[in-house]
Amino acid sequence: MTTILGRLRGLPSVQVTLAIALLVLGFLIAAQISAEGPRNRYSSEERSPLIETALRLQSQQEALKADIVSLRTRIGGLEAQDPGAAESLRRLYKELEDARLAAGLIAVTGRGLAFRLEDGTQGGGVDALVTARDVRTLIEDLWLAGAEGIAVNGERIVGSSAVLDIGGSILANSAYLSPPYTLTAIGPSDLYDRLRASVAFVAFIRGRVEPSGLRLSVAELDKVDLPAFAGTVRLRYATPVESGAP
Amino acid sequence: MTPTVRRNRLTIASMAGLLGILVVGQLRGQAGVPGLSNLTVIELTQLVANLTTSNDQLRNEVAALGRQEAHLIESRDRGDTTVGELTADLARIRAWAGLTAVSGQGIAITVSGPIGGDGVEELLNELRNAGAEAIAVDGIRVVAGAVVAGSPGALSIANSALGDSFEIRAIGSPQILTGTLTRTGGVIAQVGATYPNARLTVTPVESMTLAATDLKIGPTDASPRL
Repeated sequence: MTTILGRLRGLPSVQVTLAIALLVLGFLIAAQISAEGPRNRYSSEERSPLIETALRLQSQQEALKADIVSLRTRIGGLEAQDPGAAESLRRLYKELEDARLAAGLIAVTGRGLAFRLEDGTQGGGVDALVTARDVRTLIEDLWLAGAEGIAVNGERIVGSSAVLDIGGSILANSAYLSPPYTLTAIGPSDLYDRLRASVAFVAFIRGRVEPSGLRLSVAELDKVDLPAFAGTVRLRYATPVESGAP
Repeated sequence: MTPTVRRNRLTIASMAGLLGILVVGQLRGQAGVPGLSNLTVIELTQLVANLTTSNDQLRNEVAALGRQEAHLIESRDRGDTTVGELTADLARIRAWAGLTAVSGQGIAITVSGPIGGDGVEELLNELRNAGAEAIAVDGIRVVAGAVVAGSPGALSIANSALGDSFEIRAIGSPQILTGTLTRTGGVIAQVGATYPNARLTVTPVESMTLAATDLKIGPTDASPRL
């Protein structure tokens, strides 16, 4: 006993402090594992395969979207190369390209804005998390201010786009997007001035962003690139009406 | 330095090294699944279901585009014209984008009483999520850029004022659209909680025609990216 105490006394104080700190750390880790063990084991057993499946599906989705964009580009090229390119056919092809552009099926570039919308840090409450509704509000305000094209974290927003909550993240065009959210928009040179003058945008800032501590930053850019919409454009229930009138 | 002191230092260094490895391993593990690690089992199940459905639709689109490409290559090799393909493609894309009128089965939602633009947009968002292929509010086609905005009693869409009572029509599967909107805790219930005096009635419709948009939705400030 005397030998052990003597050895301890002989150790430098730094080593003793470090040893005690590690001992406490080990005790805390053991206590945490012991308290949460059963719940962790239960949830991780279910979560791990689900996370793996979700990651695999996300990867498949990205590959399928890349295939769609590539096929549409090749089809556009083939249509443009028609051997009997008469004037009427060239006009038809121009109409088709215009329709694709209007539908968001072609990647575009132009002057615009980039917003970054992030969760708040103050308080850490539920209200400080960016929701799908916040993203939709900003999208709607941008449309109302005259934006011609919008994308959220690289997902082109089109007429059929739905933006939904899933946990603390969102689904846009069925793509899983995590915060922070970057909304890019192309529009007229005074797009930001129009937005700042909009009652709805001011109400969003004063009624939602500021009280909840959400972080919203904006940059006016000379060049904004928007990707093409890479989803399906097949109609199953709707049939085009030739006359164009109801 | 005595052998004992050296051994002690070595032990502490090993422990610190082990802890460091564990911390780095944990951080790397979490970084591998950004965002997903925050989802509950129920949310992960919803995500997997959503991705599965979406991927099925994308696979169908890839297959259809593949057939279209093969047909175009055949036509080109034979020296045939592609007028037929171009016309069909144009009709489909214009209809999808809201540039031409469309007809089909679907649902009608009658909205009356005080409701804000955000409430109507919630309904439209859910209709899109449920697979609506075309939507119109009071006869005005909902396309990219057409937003229902304003406070209760002062709603408008595409510069047209909406009355106290109006109808939203959507083409799609009546069963799916109705089921999605009216499920317990669904969007109708949520909007009803926010706007308790608003009345929303969903009715299946066997056949309807939705007009083309009057909005100019082609870009003027944006140009195609090469």
